[in-house]
Amino acid sequence: MSVFYEKFDRHSHGEGLKGHSTHYCPGCGHGIVHRELAESIEALGIQDRTVLVSPVGCSVFAYYYFDVGNTQAPHGRAPVVGLGHKLANPESIVISYQGDGDLASIGLAETIATAQMGLPITVIFINNAIYGMTGGQLAPTSLMGQKTATSPDGRNQNMGSPIRMAELIAQLDGPVYVERVALFDPKQRIKARKAIEKALRIQKEGRGYAFVEVLAECPTHLKKSPEDTEKWVKECMTPIFPLGVLKDKSAETEPWWDRKAPSFAPEKVLGLMGVDTEPAERHAKGFPDHFKCVDISFKLAGSGGDGAQTAALLLARTAIDEGFDATHIPSYGPESRGGTSYADVHLAKDEVLNPAAPDPHVLLAFNAPSLTKFAPQVREGGVIIYDSTIITDPGVLPAGRTVYGVPFTGIATQLQRPMVKNIVALGALQAATHLFPAESFMATLRTVLKDKAALLPLNEAAFAAGQNAVGSPVS
Amino acid sequence: MAIPASQRPKPFLEPEYCKGCLRCIDACPKECITEGDAINAATGLVPVNLNLDNCNGCQLCVQACPEPYGLRPQAGPVATDAHGDFDLEDPKNLFGAKETGAPVAKAQPSEEIPLPLGQPMVLKGTYASALGALLAGCRHVFGYPITPSTEGAELMAKVLPKLDGAFVQAVSEVAAINMMYGCSGAGLPCMTFTSSPGFSLMLEGISYMIGAELPGVIVNVMRGGPGLGNIAPEQADLKLMTRGLGHGNTHAIVLAPATPQEMLDLSRKAFELSFKYRNPVIIAADGYLGQMTGVVKLPATMTKPGLPEWAVWGDREHRGNLICSIFLSEPDLEAHNVKLLAKYDAMKAEAMFDTYRTGDADVLLVACNTPARMAKGAVEDLRAQGIKAGLFRPITIWPFPIEGLKPLLPQVKRLVMVEASPGQLEDELRLALSHAGLACPPITPVQRYGGILPQQTEIVAAVLKGGAR
Repeated sequence: MSVFYEKFDRHSHGEGLKGHSTHYCPGCGHGIVHRELAESIEALGIQDRTVLVSPVGCSVFAYYYFDVGNTQAPHGRAPVVGLGHKLANPESIVISYQGDGDLASIGLAETIATAQMGLPITVIFINNAIYGMTGGQLAPTSLMGQKTATSPDGRNQNMGSPIRMAELIAQLDGPVYVERVALFDPKQRIKARKAIEKALRIQKEGRGYAFVEVLAECPTHLKKSPEDTEKWVKECMTPIFPLGVLKDKSAETEPWWDRKAPSFAPEKVLGLMGVDTEPAERHAKGFPDHFKCVDISFKLAGSGGDGAQTAALLLARTAIDEGFDATHIPSYGPESRGGTSYADVHLAKDEVLNPAAPDPHVLLAFNAPSLTKFAPQVREGGVIIYDSTIITDPGVLPAGRTVYGVPFTGIATQLQRPMVKNIVALGALQAATHLFPAESFMATLRTVLKDKAALLPLNEAAFAAGQNAVGSPVS
Repeated sequence: MAIPASQRPKPFLEPEYCKGCLRCIDACPKECITEGDAINAATGLVPVNLNLDNCNGCQLCVQACPEPYGLRPQAGPVATDAHGDFDLEDPKNLFGAKETGAPVAKAQPSEEIPLPLGQPMVLKGTYASALGALLAGCRHVFGYPITPSTEGAELMAKVLPKLDGAFVQAVSEVAAINMMYGCSGAGLPCMTFTSSPGFSLMLEGISYMIGAELPGVIVNVMRGGPGLGNIAPEQADLKLMTRGLGHGNTHAIVLAPATPQEMLDLSRKAFELSFKYRNPVIIAADGYLGQMTGVVKLPATMTKPGLPEWAVWGDREHRGNLICSIFLSEPDLEAHNVKLLAKYDAMKAEAMFDTYRTGDADVLLVACNTPARMAKGAVEDLRAQGIKAGLFRPITIWPFPIEGLKPLLPQVKRLVMVEASPGQLEDELRLALSHAGLACPPITPVQRYGGILPQQTEIVAAVLKGGAR
């Protein structure tokens, strides 16, 4: 009995009889399951490792009684709270102790998802076919015809029929052991005790998730004597909720739960994040002053898949590697592919103040709608570069901007890799704006492709072809 | 080997711990137990009567008793009297002192580990936040995909398994925040990335975390609402984060970064604050900031977390601990609330802000997150036009950094509230002024909604146009 506190100090501060009595009504099944759980924990020698998750419902105060690590979960969330504990300390033995409202109603999503994940925790499900704590309302497991506070005329078809959780859980792949037991006679109680211990042993041995449904008595809200309630469970509940093992793969499932302690090695963290320890190459003589400002803004616009975002990132990265500040904001339509894809890029000598580009200095347009939409926003004296393969008729563009038509797609197609048209465009941008020397962009390409060196020659060729294709402006 | 019946322990019952449910009567094959007939003075219940003359120590009655201190086997040497006449005794004398009293846990401190010098990185905001969390020692991330926050979770899903940490894609945001409740209850730093609709779902769990005094970092990359809204940036969750963290008396420090660099720095800071106060910390980002790429410099150290003394770790040392937000008696719950209020009061010391050209400013722009950057651009434009504009940028939205604003007020003729919400930041400012007993200068609001941020040009135009309320 040592798994129970010597005195229930958490029960009304342990005052008077509450120091040794439970808060459960006379004849309640919870107390019996508590005893069986306590005995099982003791038999397996896992008291120090156990974390018991108390749910919401009558067993909300399970933590009054069990001398183990205790936590109390929001309604229905006990198994995922338990999962948090199990992942934090894989050595802990986690028990999610829940009633029918908690497990089979409000927490159904958490129950099913946790069972299907199959991580080794133990779920004890007390099914007494009624809500106890709130005062005798319809439970998801209430029987057809059963009168409750919220089914005063009996459960009927409009309320659906009782849910069989053990069967539901057993047909999932995650659990290794699912059994339904009862408490209505000495034989059942012995079986229940064995099932609970087995479910815990399966966790202790790292074999997986185990679920024990216990048909329990709630004499108070069934408005019967404890003896009649036992009879009711036996005669009325067991035909709907048949007893027995619904799934047991514990013997054939080898122990597999084995997690190492997390790593805090700095090199490993930085390596995974791709942090460079070598300073970036610099080729620019300084900030491109010919734009006559300290903050240059760009709009790169096309459809998803055009590579506008990648080009924008390369542009920002080149500026940052040259020692300046830069930002890139992408914006997409809801489609993963084929929708609009716009990028706002800023390069600043010291600090980008406003990262949005409502009136860019430079527009790179990959398709006609983008050109039509953004060309009027380009500032006077700015530069517009568009894909002349796709946009054969640029229409009337605003005066006072330098406009280049460069066949991004055509060149990329000649290189037999249409996807590099954004690199062609970047080459064109370099030649048209002289933002930074070409070598600055090449250094960035080398950095970002350091793990895909085979792609470098193609990208270099695309960039150079884009540069060379910039002739005299269209207007 | 079976113990002879005469030597098996017989049941023992203190009548005040019997609730008279009679479940033992059916269980006893020897009919040793009968329904009582006398009301127990202490309980008002009618305990059963035991007559153990025929008892063979089968224990079936004990197994049927729902009370831990109800029917119990008599431990230790069996009474020499084979007929089993028992006197009622204190259970402590019967069972002896418990062998394994849980010890009092001590905090294991966290450790700062020097980081090798790395070059500045080019990272998007969500990645920067994830890196900040990793450097703060977070190895447990729970989340549910939602645009525009998902890249943070994706990065964690890629990196954490290689660090023997855990990323779990939960069945919902409700499950995710409760996995945090569990992991954090075990004493470890953990976090989630979410966006407005997901944040709404997490509020229940956040209230429980605050009630149970659990740390944890929630990054809310705000998007357009209400309802499903859209996936563009908005700031209309400030009200939720500052005033509406679920039910009950709740508050949490709300940090509002404005750059990818701050996404890293403040995410890291959030873990520190979260453990310092045993309370969740919210990172309020906006959709632009989540997606925005910028330069990010690395800090000099990273943290290896310790284990707080209050953790429910699942070992002997921490066995006595409880994570719980229930206080059934009203005085207990009132005392808990008083404790929380004192904590919220202490958090006011963490107020943070930034200023830009406020030295002589008489037009003070107030903005946070990305709109603060538009506002910064507007300050430059306004200065170029001869207007003495400056920017006050709250970094903590709760607590509002009123002490930082206070010294600027005497010179300020007008406040310009720049925000992507219908005045939720303005409400915080007005409340803070009111609580501080300070008069509110005229306010010119510059507000956009629905996923559109106020642009530099419209901020400038609003200031030039004048007009305030």
